[in-house]
Amino acid sequence: MRRLWQGAVQWLSQLGADIRDSTDAGLLGVARFFGLLYGPIDTSLPIDQALNKAWRYRLPAHTSWRHALGGITHLLFLVLVVTGVMLAVYYRPSAQEAFPSIQHIVSGVTLGWLVRDLHVWSASLLVLAALAHMAQVFFEAGYKPPRETTWLVGVVLLFVVLAFGATGYLLAWDQSAYWTVTEALAALERMPLLGGFLAGLLRADPIVSGATLSRFFAAHVIVLPWLSLAALGFHFAMVRRHGVAPPLTPVDPARERRQFFPNHLLRASMLGVLVLALAITLAILSPRPVGVAAHPGELPDVLISSWIVVDVSRALAFYLGSWGFALFTLLGLALALLPLFDRGPARDLKQRPVAAAIGLTFFLSFLALWIVGRTLRTIPPDASVANPPAAEASVPAVPAATDTSAQGEPR
Amino acid sequence: MRALVLVAALALALPGTGRAQATQSADSATTRYGCLACHADKRAAFEEGVHSERGIQCHDCHGGNPASRSLPAAHGGKFTGSPGKVAVVALCGSCHSDPNQMRQYGLPTGIVAEFRTSRHGMLLLQQQNADAPTCTSCHDAHTILRPDDARSTVYPTNITSTCAPCHENKALMDKYGLPTDQVRQFEQSAHGLALKDQNFAAPTCLGCHGSHSALPPKVTEITSVCSRCHVGVGNAFQRGPHGQAARSGKLAGCLACHGNHDTERVPEAQIAATCHKCHEPDSEAVALGGRIQADVVQASGDLQAAAKAIEDVTRAGLQTADLQFRLETARTAYLQITEVQHDLDLERLDDLTRSVRSISRDLRGAAEASAEHKWEHKLWLVPVWFLALAWVSMSVLVIRSYERKGP
Repeated sequence: MRRLWQGAVQWLSQLGADIRDSTDAGLLGVARFFGLLYGPIDTSLPIDQALNKAWRYRLPAHTSWRHALGGITHLLFLVLVVTGVMLAVYYRPSAQEAFPSIQHIVSGVTLGWLVRDLHVWSASLLVLAALAHMAQVFFEAGYKPPRETTWLVGVVLLFVVLAFGATGYLLAWDQSAYWTVTEALAALERMPLLGGFLAGLLRADPIVSGATLSRFFAAHVIVLPWLSLAALGFHFAMVRRHGVAPPLTPVDPARERRQFFPNHLLRASMLGVLVLALAITLAILSPRPVGVAAHPGELPDVLISSWIVVDVSRALAFYLGSWGFALFTLLGLALALLPLFDRGPARDLKQRPVAAAIGLTFFLSFLALWIVGRTLRTIPPDASVANPPAAEASVPAVPAATDTSAQGEPR
Repeated sequence: MRALVLVAALALALPGTGRAQATQSADSATTRYGCLACHADKRAAFEEGVHSERGIQCHDCHGGNPASRSLPAAHGGKFTGSPGKVAVVALCGSCHSDPNQMRQYGLPTGIVAEFRTSRHGMLLLQQQNADAPTCTSCHDAHTILRPDDARSTVYPTNITSTCAPCHENKALMDKYGLPTDQVRQFEQSAHGLALKDQNFAAPTCLGCHGSHSALPPKVTEITSVCSRCHVGVGNAFQRGPHGQAARSGKLAGCLACHGNHDTERVPEAQIAATCHKCHEPDSEAVALGGRIQADVVQASGDLQAAAKAIEDVTRAGLQTADLQFRLETARTAYLQITEVQHDLDLERLDDLTRSVRSISRDLRGAAEASAEHKWEHKLWLVPVWFLALAWVSMSVLVIRSYERKGP
């Protein structure tokens, strides 16, 4: 017995050495690609020494908690990937089975309810974290040369996130999701120029139907994940290439630069654990209602939104109309393209009034619209279809007065 | 001018040419038809409706000679002009009572015979009374539309306004001792409200009185009239003591409790009060009514609670197929209650009420169980935050010791 134990220990240690010696240090590049490692990787070393060297990487002196926003966004993205894969195991993307499969996830699968609500809440928190990250970079003028590409890829990622949310929203296939998407596609259809074409492409049917669900599902679990993977890798590569933006006010060059491992990693893990705990808490305390199954022939009494972007869009569509929606989109686009026209060396907010105006308007109105949109309870605009004008409206009111003479005269 | 239009049509769209020519030839057909040369105001009526579609023209009913363009000749021959009310019945009957002509359309040929038995027909045909309506009083004289055309005067939602001009005319109805508030009452009745909601299963005036054979049902006929739609309730009613009274003419059938033109559901809480209409307040019959009312109120409340419970279970994320099935059983029992309360069989009523109550209790139990399940979820917060805070405090300690020591 004792010999067997010793043999196993010896074999295991040799297996470890085997793997260490036969694995190329370049493999660490994968971890680096996914944003899990930061420093440069010395591929001439064995993998364990290369990892040690990468861990000893020291961060810029001015690095602080405000730079963690991007990392939090990435953490929430990873949470979404893991919970998303778990949900995909049980979810069935068809008009008949989608809602029952979610009922099964929530009530039949062990901790399925937690995974689902964690997925829902991480999606909302992700948008908040991404916008906070974006605002921080904006106010520190991090988008100026040479970091334009980092910013532009970040904007692409934001759109990918929005597309993720928009496509995931329908998958719940309950009344609220169904009619919110119907309302959103109707709003898109009313948008000038390309609106009608895009709405038709997404809806794939005269009404939101199983065909729409298939398209949204394919986009949500196949197209967008690959797109985000490519964009994320590029984003991280750009961050490593150019580093984080220098501080607005110079810091003491003698200040100690923090080492990646273990100081930075432990600090980051603290924040990560707290964010996770927060997401789980929100998921437990404020679960998304399962609601009732989508019914294309029956309008819900009210529409309740459960995703921050839907709140904002509905507030826009309700209070400002389709042109307001289009203008806000243009404002967002102007912010996205900021590095193309705001390229001067000035970094203080007062020295770049145009950029400041665009950014402040966008971020502040986004927050305001979110708060307004959360309280908004509307019925879909298509509600008028449910009660078409009665058929008799076109009928002459009363037939012509009856001729009461028994014997008419020949004319 | 027409040539110009034709050339323009040719130049603009070749595929459209055939259509343009067809329209043009139809135009000239009606233009050539002699009657319309003078009676242009009848052109619209002439061109629309089933008679026009079948090629029935002015002279088929009015006689005369449409080929002639001069007045004495055009109104010559067997010209009848505008026929009187009695003549109209014979005129319509000449085709509509002929099985050989009506067979192809599947239309009944007994209309004139039916009309003869109606109060309208008796007045008009036996007494030559011009107050009575003839065919064209209810059906437009010239534009005969199908009954499922919403513009037709006999389309379900238009029936009341077809009957109303005479039956709301107080001066006219006083002569025959008839009331004039039926339409107003009908519009507020269960039937009228259902019809307003486009529920065409609901009866209009015709549903109970008949159309061509219109007459008020006799007292002993009332139950049969209502039973044509309310089959289950009607059978139950006939089984019970009230049915017997109705058959002997002592009770106005269903109307005794539900009214005629203002037909209303008796609200659950008013069942016993309705018994007072005929029975003494402290009689055994009123006591029985009270017990029936108690059962119906109980069952209806239980049924609503059961439906609400299923909604709660659905919102809790549980599948409800089994529960729905049980609810359907409860609904069936409730449907039987609405029938059985008409034959006054209290024992059976109690049984059904009990079965609704038992199902409702089960469903509410399921809803409560699913709500309790949710409460347990909150317990997860304890380990989650314990682990999170433990990790954070450990990290703080480690970082402190590390930074004190120096890397």
